[in-house]
Amino acid sequence: MPNPILDPTGATATATKPRAPRAPRRKDLRGATIGLLGNTKQNAAPFLDEIGRLLISQHGASKAIARTKVNFAAPAPEELIKELQASCDVIVTGIGDCGSCSASAVADGIALEAAGLPAAAICSDAFAVTADAMAELRGAPGYPYATTPHPVAVLTADQVRERAAQVLGDVVALLTHP
Amino acid sequence: MTAELDPDAAQAAIEYCYAQDWSDGLPLVPASQPLVDRFLATTSKSPDEVLGELEQVGRDCTVYLAAVNAAMAGCLPGYFPVVLAAFDALMRERAARGGGWQSTSGPAPMIVVNGPVRHELGFNTAGGAFGPGFRPNATVARAIGLIVRNAFGVRPHVLEQATQGLPGRWSICLAENEEESPWPPFAIDGGQPAGVSAVSATLLRTCEFVDNRHTPDPEQVLWDIADTISRTGSLIFRDTSAGVVFCPEHAQMLADAGYGKPDVQAWLMEHCGRTGADLRQAGKNGLRGIARFASPDETGDGEFTRILPSPRHVPIVVAGARNAAISMVVRVFGEWSGTAIPVQVKP
Repeated sequence: MPNPILDPTGATATATKPRAPRAPRRKDLRGATIGLLGNTKQNAAPFLDEIGRLLISQHGASKAIARTKVNFAAPAPEELIKELQASCDVIVTGIGDCGSCSASAVADGIALEAAGLPAAAICSDAFAVTADAMAELRGAPGYPYATTPHPVAVLTADQVRERAAQVLGDVVALLTHP
Repeated sequence: MTAELDPDAAQAAIEYCYAQDWSDGLPLVPASQPLVDRFLATTSKSPDEVLGELEQVGRDCTVYLAAVNAAMAGCLPGYFPVVLAAFDALMRERAARGGGWQSTSGPAPMIVVNGPVRHELGFNTAGGAFGPGFRPNATVARAIGLIVRNAFGVRPHVLEQATQGLPGRWSICLAENEEESPWPPFAIDGGQPAGVSAVSATLLRTCEFVDNRHTPDPEQVLWDIADTISRTGSLIFRDTSAGVVFCPEHAQMLADAGYGKPDVQAWLMEHCGRTGADLRQAGKNGLRGIARFASPDETGDGEFTRILPSPRHVPIVVAGARNAAISMVVRVFGEWSGTAIPVQVKP
């Protein structure tokens, strides 16, 4: 018998992860406090601010709280998740427009769901494959998120507002549909 | 003699590895337990010891997995302590622990080997320093790439999102030309004593040559290097990091004129940068939200912005042949950790 060829991935040692939990949805956003979790990427903050403004003016949300994740490549720190859990009802996070930050925006969405917060992650459409791969790694294959056309960083202030308006319907659906 | 070897069996095993999606595109050496055992015998570390973790993807690399990947990369068992030191050095880089392997910039590790291990293992320390052509240099660098791909699961087009990547990814492993360098070995800058075999590593965004073989004036050579370091295309953040891999001829010319490494670093820190007008012309001014460069308008046009904040942002290595005055600017992705890792061989 020849020697078997060894597997360099360690995959056989990795146990299958349990399915990640999904937060219960509200029926609508009336009176809700919206957490806006930005990632320092160019145009992310004004994009999320506009989403917050529209959720208040068009969907009856009561207020929006903006927070920033300083290290865009890494998952949001536990203290930040706890703070959002204590102060917000739903979260909008992004904008994932790079290799690591799009994957990590989706990872944050999944972590927020586990903390009981309905989340809508927004990624540029150029990063769907890596966002989906991260969802699978986090035990949430097929985790839904919103996309906006690439690129985001070069948009003017007016264009950012336009983009926010375009993706608003998807964000509301992600936060309210069971 | 070769009639005893079975090329058809070897080809089938190589194709099996391709079919598992383990390869970086080139043929792998199919690893068997007896081969991997010879790798593991070179280190005192336990096969189960975790060498590094990539938190965001929930994967880690054990000594065992590093050995399998090093074997598949074509390393000889004796290279394994160098692979372990290189991986350790790289995992000290914030960019490598963070999103570097997933990044659109597609950075390449630059590994620098110092000390007696260079000659003991047959590393190329002379011409063609950036490769190819030499088994230890080529396969140690490749082993790191396979570890990222297989142990961390960061594969191109999936978790790895390089827009274009860069030439030399997974193939840059320099053995410093200590014999012809006028300066102390790079490992000493990384905190190791003289004479110790050690490995340093960082991530690069690109390399660019400076061919300056017609001036006897060392300061003109430095101006030429500063011009390459200062081009606007590579500037993204407020600070940048750019090292120089000097050829022996440039290094010796500078040393003969009295420049030590700290003098070269200080000179480059002082002279590398751009004016506000240059940055504005290239759209690298007044970035909203991040504000890495000041002055969104003409008011800052006359201001000269220096881009290299400390000597550690200007790592200096000497490599290559003594046959022409061609040096390389190496653009560091993030910031070099400043740490060299000793090569530890099991006694």
